[in-house]
Amino acid sequence: MTTTVEQRRRRTGVFFVAPALLVLAAILFYPIVDSILLALQRVQLAGGAVTQEWIGLGNFIRLFSDPVFWRAALNTAYFSGMEVVLVTLISLGVALLLNHPLGRSGFFRILLIVPWAIAPVANAVLWKWILNANYGILNGLLKSIGVIDYYQVWLGTPFSALNFLLIVDVWKSVPFVALLMLAGLQRVPQSLYRAAYMDGAGPWQSFLNVTLPTMRGVIAVAIVLQTIWSLRVFDLVFVLTRGGPADATALLNFLAYRVTFNFLDLGYGSAIANVIFALTFVLAALYVWLLWPRDVRGAR
Amino acid sequence: MVHNFNRRHFLGTGALAGAMATMPGLFDRGARAQSAALNVFSPLPPDPAPPGAAKFSEDAFAKWQADNGATVSYETLAWPQLHDRMATAFASGAAPWDITYNCGWVPEFESFLTPYADNLPKALVDDLPPTSFATTTVGGKRYGAVFTLSLLTLFYNKELMEQAGFKEAPKTWDELKACAKEMTRDGRFGFVLNYGDPAGIGGTASYWMVFLQQAGGKVYGEDGLPAFKSDEGVAALQMMVDLMPSTDPGSISYAGINDATNVLLAGRAGMMMNWPFMWNAGNDPKQSQIVGKMTSAVLPAGPKGSASIDGTDAWTITKASKNQEKAQKLIEFYLDAEVQKRQVLDTGWLPIRLSVLADPEVQAKAPNAAVVLEQAKHPYDSFVTADYNQVTVAIGTEVQKALQGSKTAAQAIADAQDAVTAIVKRRG
Repeated sequence: MTTTVEQRRRRTGVFFVAPALLVLAAILFYPIVDSILLALQRVQLAGGAVTQEWIGLGNFIRLFSDPVFWRAALNTAYFSGMEVVLVTLISLGVALLLNHPLGRSGFFRILLIVPWAIAPVANAVLWKWILNANYGILNGLLKSIGVIDYYQVWLGTPFSALNFLLIVDVWKSVPFVALLMLAGLQRVPQSLYRAAYMDGAGPWQSFLNVTLPTMRGVIAVAIVLQTIWSLRVFDLVFVLTRGGPADATALLNFLAYRVTFNFLDLGYGSAIANVIFALTFVLAALYVWLLWPRDVRGAR
Repeated sequence: MVHNFNRRHFLGTGALAGAMATMPGLFDRGARAQSAALNVFSPLPPDPAPPGAAKFSEDAFAKWQADNGATVSYETLAWPQLHDRMATAFASGAAPWDITYNCGWVPEFESFLTPYADNLPKALVDDLPPTSFATTTVGGKRYGAVFTLSLLTLFYNKELMEQAGFKEAPKTWDELKACAKEMTRDGRFGFVLNYGDPAGIGGTASYWMVFLQQAGGKVYGEDGLPAFKSDEGVAALQMMVDLMPSTDPGSISYAGINDATNVLLAGRAGMMMNWPFMWNAGNDPKQSQIVGKMTSAVLPAGPKGSASIDGTDAWTITKASKNQEKAQKLIEFYLDAEVQKRQVLDTGWLPIRLSVLADPEVQAKAPNAAVVLEQAKHPYDSFVTADYNQVTVAIGTEVQKALQGSKTAAQAIADAQDAVTAIVKRRG
């Protein structure tokens, strides 16, 4: 039996890719499978050695009756929804400003990237001090300009604490998404703007009918990526609020951590983590679908 | 002679250095055979840490290592991260330590520890408060030795208290409320605590446990099931709720004791419950603006008297340790009378040895030692169990809801009891 050039080429390709596939299997596939298996067991370290007992979907069924899980799920839904909306809108605005002739200085781009470049935990600690109820610069600033009469406990009430977490994460997320959108903006052909101008379109109409439709793909990618990232927020919750007050800022990722490492209920913690994984996986699939090259007829 | 050090030489030297680095044991195997390497897992100061990790008894520590042919290395972490680091290490079977710090987690990690404290010298054990073994004993076996007498007591700013018209510390709940109310003025608050993190010793739930015992209640009944849905449980929480108008509102967001401590040391609050380390911090001009104004007292009594909780800071030895004998000797060194004395004089963490607590020099440097000893005459159960973190999160979260006014004390206690009952039943 003879082999064709194409078959040999494929075999060689597989040979070269195999090491990378093995590494991926070890660091991705194995943990994912192991995590799913853990989620199907009652695995505990409490009061004795590690015990494992198959319980099928027991951990997932327990999720339905766990009010803390539902509270965290609602918090996460609110957090992710608001974050995507805010980050997308603010980033688009920032990208438009940076794309303006006055905003094209490299200085602005460097300034923009600073929040994104700060290490996540350092960022959280920074905000912990900014928001401190006794010494925080936010209180000092607002009081000095007369906006507040006395110092506020920004992380003290459920509504305020969750929204300040949101603000901090938006602050950190905007730079990357803004740069992504800036790259998209710079790909919009200038000829389209000139054609729109010739047709009598004003700046707003140009934005609605030229910029936004051309940017649709970039915006979709930004939305999907931001949703994935917002589902993974952990460091801010851990440093700023520990999920409090009264679980008001407990997001799913933090809950998975707390149940797994704090309560040592490894099976149930894995079940929560797998819910996050499933959501992320669906969003990642959507992301891949959006980026998949289309043929000329738009078919996949 | 001039060497021509070119790129080839550089690469060759690098390769040789790399090869030597991969064989660290090649040249010192002989020396290792005679010395034991002990690995100790400890909190970072200012939390209680041993000589070498904290700055005290360093010469004695070096001498101990030389005399015992042992090299001690420390892995230190900020206190809030200790439990989870231990949990992951034990669960993965990769705990690298001979000795670990423990704080109420002995029942949880008992199967990974060795009951070495049953073999401590009698003279040493006789010099320790018998109750100090309560939180490290599981199934009648002693798995750890507490190394600092660490009970919550009341710390307060004398000057602010006098300005509020009180000549001495409050002795009852009513006096505490009245005093806190009067001290709340001019942008200051009568009381401060860290209610931000519900979990563990020093978390929201544990503070409620203090008030619970002062009210005469207990967390668990004789059958091991929660028994705090009672008048005492509600009264304890109601006391905390009643204090809230005079409590620094930031308390609900302070996740660690240091956040609350800073408020008291800045003179922005009048009173707080705190651990004995507070004494040194409060009298250190680098950390405190109330030097000479701070003092401590036994916690105010509830309907059934005063009560506190135990910090339960203990040393334990892991089952996996290959040097258990040397590890025990090292813990005995940590508990040596002279080391214990330097511990309190240099770090502020009180000794656990009764003879050292009675030392006049110690009492002069740490006047709060007498207060802690007095506090120790009252109940100080921390109610630790194998699922202590889960239980305290369940209780602490409900306590937070009551403190914020989103639930009544009675409702919060009822819901907390239901949650803890489910946890205990799931534990089996």
